Amino acid sequence: MRRSLATGLLVILALALALVPPAGAQTREETLIYSLQSDVDNWDPPNSVLREAIILGYHVYDHLAVRDLKTRRVGPNLATSWTNIDDTTWEVKLRQGVKFHDGTPFTSRDVKATFDRVLDPTKKMTARGNHAKIKAVDTIDDHTVRFRTDGPYPLFVERLTAQVMQSDKVIREKGHEWMQENPVGTGPYKLVKWNRKQEHQLVRNDDYWGPKPAFKHLRIRIIPEKATEIAELLSGGVDIIKAVPPDQMDVINKSGQARTGTSPILRTAMLQLDQAARSGPNPFTDRRVRQAANLAVDNDAIIKFVLNGLGDRVAAGVNPMAFGWDPGLKPYKQDLAQAKKLLAEAGYPNGVDVLFNEGPPIVEPAIQQTNDAIIADMTKAGFRVKRNYIGDNTVLVARIKDGKAGSMFNWSWGYYSVFDADAILFDVFKCGENYSYYCNPALDDLIIHGRSTLDQKKRTEVYVKAQKLLFDDAAYLYKWGLRGVWGISNRIEYQAPADEVDRMFLVTPKKK
Amino acid sequence: MKRYALRQVVQLAVVIVGISMLAFAILHVIGDPVTLLLPQNAGKEEYERYNKLLGLDKPIYVQYWKFASRAVQGDFGKSWYADTPAFKLVLERMPPTLYLTTAGLVTALLIALPLGILAALKQHSFVDNLCTMAAVAGQAMPIFWLGIMLIIIFAVQLRLLPASGYGTWQHFLMPAFTLGAFLAPITMRLVRSGVIEIMNMEYIKTARAKGLAERLVVIKHAFRNACIPVITVLGLQFGQLLGGAVITETVFAWPGVATLTVDAIRNQDFPVVQCAVVLLALIIVAVNFLVDMIVGLIDPRIRVGA
Repeated sequence: MRRSLATGLLVILALALALVPPAGAQTREETLIYSLQSDVDNWDPPNSVLREAIILGYHVYDHLAVRDLKTRRVGPNLATSWTNIDDTTWEVKLRQGVKFHDGTPFTSRDVKATFDRVLDPTKKMTARGNHAKIKAVDTIDDHTVRFRTDGPYPLFVERLTAQVMQSDKVIREKGHEWMQENPVGTGPYKLVKWNRKQEHQLVRNDDYWGPKPAFKHLRIRIIPEKATEIAELLSGGVDIIKAVPPDQMDVINKSGQARTGTSPILRTAMLQLDQAARSGPNPFTDRRVRQAANLAVDNDAIIKFVLNGLGDRVAAGVNPMAFGWDPGLKPYKQDLAQAKKLLAEAGYPNGVDVLFNEGPPIVEPAIQQTNDAIIADMTKAGFRVKRNYIGDNTVLVARIKDGKAGSMFNWSWGYYSVFDADAILFDVFKCGENYSYYCNPALDDLIIHGRSTLDQKKRTEVYVKAQKLLFDDAAYLYKWGLRGVWGISNRIEYQAPADEVDRMFLVTPKKK
Repeated sequence: MKRYALRQVVQLAVVIVGISMLAFAILHVIGDPVTLLLPQNAGKEEYERYNKLLGLDKPIYVQYWKFASRAVQGDFGKSWYADTPAFKLVLERMPPTLYLTTAGLVTALLIALPLGILAALKQHSFVDNLCTMAAVAGQAMPIFWLGIMLIIIFAVQLRLLPASGYGTWQHFLMPAFTLGAFLAPITMRLVRSGVIEIMNMEYIKTARAKGLAERLVVIKHAFRNACIPVITVLGLQFGQLLGGAVITETVFAWPGVATLTVDAIRNQDFPVVQCAVVLLALIIVAVNFLVDMIVGLIDPRIRVGA
């Protein structure tokens, strides 16, 4: 028996050794390791809805335009300039001397092929909705393209940051299936190997047209468990992690190994109230009840004490970083007496029963704790809140889309990373949209007006009016703009990004 | 022995058919697959088209036959989520889980056998009590917690082992121990009670009376007989071990089939779920077949009785 045990052990050991990867020339010194909690479904960014796919896309591909993280404005990238010739035509000049990883030069044909593929309805690409306003792309010469749009399209330039440039040759010769696992871009890194749900190995593109990344090797590891991710950061196994829970910030900062970095991110959290009665009659169809809810909650105190200050109040849903935000509009302040008075006027002098569908802690940090605090405040004003916890985010999303989310529920909106008021107003406040539980024709007029002119001054005026309307009507219970928390190893320098897109090619080793 | 083996094989075939039926049923029990696949605003025509495309308009036995005959060839369809054949996805992730469970099993035996025998031989002594306490503690410790504790001690504090991942022998140590610690207590208790029972048997007395050294009595006569229930239980526990692997794989970011299956269930990715259920069930069945064979070899009564 003893001998067979020993044999068994040897077999295990042999198996384990067989798995050891061949020794590469790659050293930890020149390798940057980033981790994600879940993997992408493919390496074809326009065919994925995942945030992870956007992030990976930035490393291997380039966009026509990109956001400058310091100024938060969109600037040139593969496009060097853009002008609108008339209300529905944009002319874009392209950068010269750019090459794809397979050596083919980047030209206007690639831009056309990329958009033709995304806009082809038979291809069912997930990014199609982002560009549905584009009617056609024409190549003028090798480095000039014209976009024809369906009506004036003020978000044109913003949306250029949401589309990676793929190769005409690859689309024609290799085809859709092949592209799912084999990205050929013009970006700062090249993909070497993808072990699904385990790791992506990338190597620096030494022919990159722009500033070259400081680290030669980039490994992107998939670590589903947050505690493990933090342990990896503290033991030097990983250099950057994101979405650190607020209560773990101290652990990281006191470790001497790593620190936390925070940034406001383009995501607004709120409790949606069913003003439109999509899930049936409920007390929130009365404006006074919605106002009472907003007046009941002391959101400033919740941000300060529950979220460690990691939030920025919003007065009417629009995030302070989005174009069109009105800095003059002050958020609701807690006033319990006024809240009670309004409830009584609405016919609920002895309080009112409401149902609250709570979401899981995936997107919003400390959601359970902040929900506890909000409900405690609402109870003081006379709301009797019945809580119903929904543990699976996909279930909550499906219910919201189906109009079955109840009188009040957790929701946050990431604007599809478009820094513009329209990107939340249309999807979350307009009558009849999937994620909207509010319906007000006066607001709809403003939303439509705002998206059909290219005059940014006029658009600002429209959005100021829209926010005033939403504030007065207390459409939802407004909470705050979120702030992201990253864990960053002390061996590197890294600036947390406001658009939730981590860019590893901007990371530099810490100066000693 | 031949007849015994043959009988086991026939039973095996019945079990496998049963499993394939269950896996096939998953899709139909959960709700209408077409509604799940189509977008919310899809019309009736599109529904009919999809229904036909998936072959769901055919009688249920035709559908099952199609599923089973394809499954035999390793064709479970494409993942609804990853745009890749389900069989490929599951097969890719199978080896890490098998290595992990085998390593966990070996670790459990390395802990359980010596301690179990020791506890039995020194019944009611300090050592026995200590082993019992260790078993209770081991049984009470959630895998999740143990895994994280090991990571904090060996990776974060001592810097001896990588905190998570897959690829080198160092990556094996903590996950294998975590999983082994989950299986060890029950195995140890079984070894202990088995050895105690057997040490009181007449043939042990005979062996001692022949003047055999106590060491030989234990190893040659007692242990072999005590092995039978242990091997049987280990076979049965293999399914449990795969359950434990889900948590172990999550904690240690281990790219195995257990987490793939749980993710697929969460995403309602039925081809992957079906494929994983069938393949995992096949493995469990194979392990139990092996166990039956081994027990048959050790214990002639079982062969003859069958």
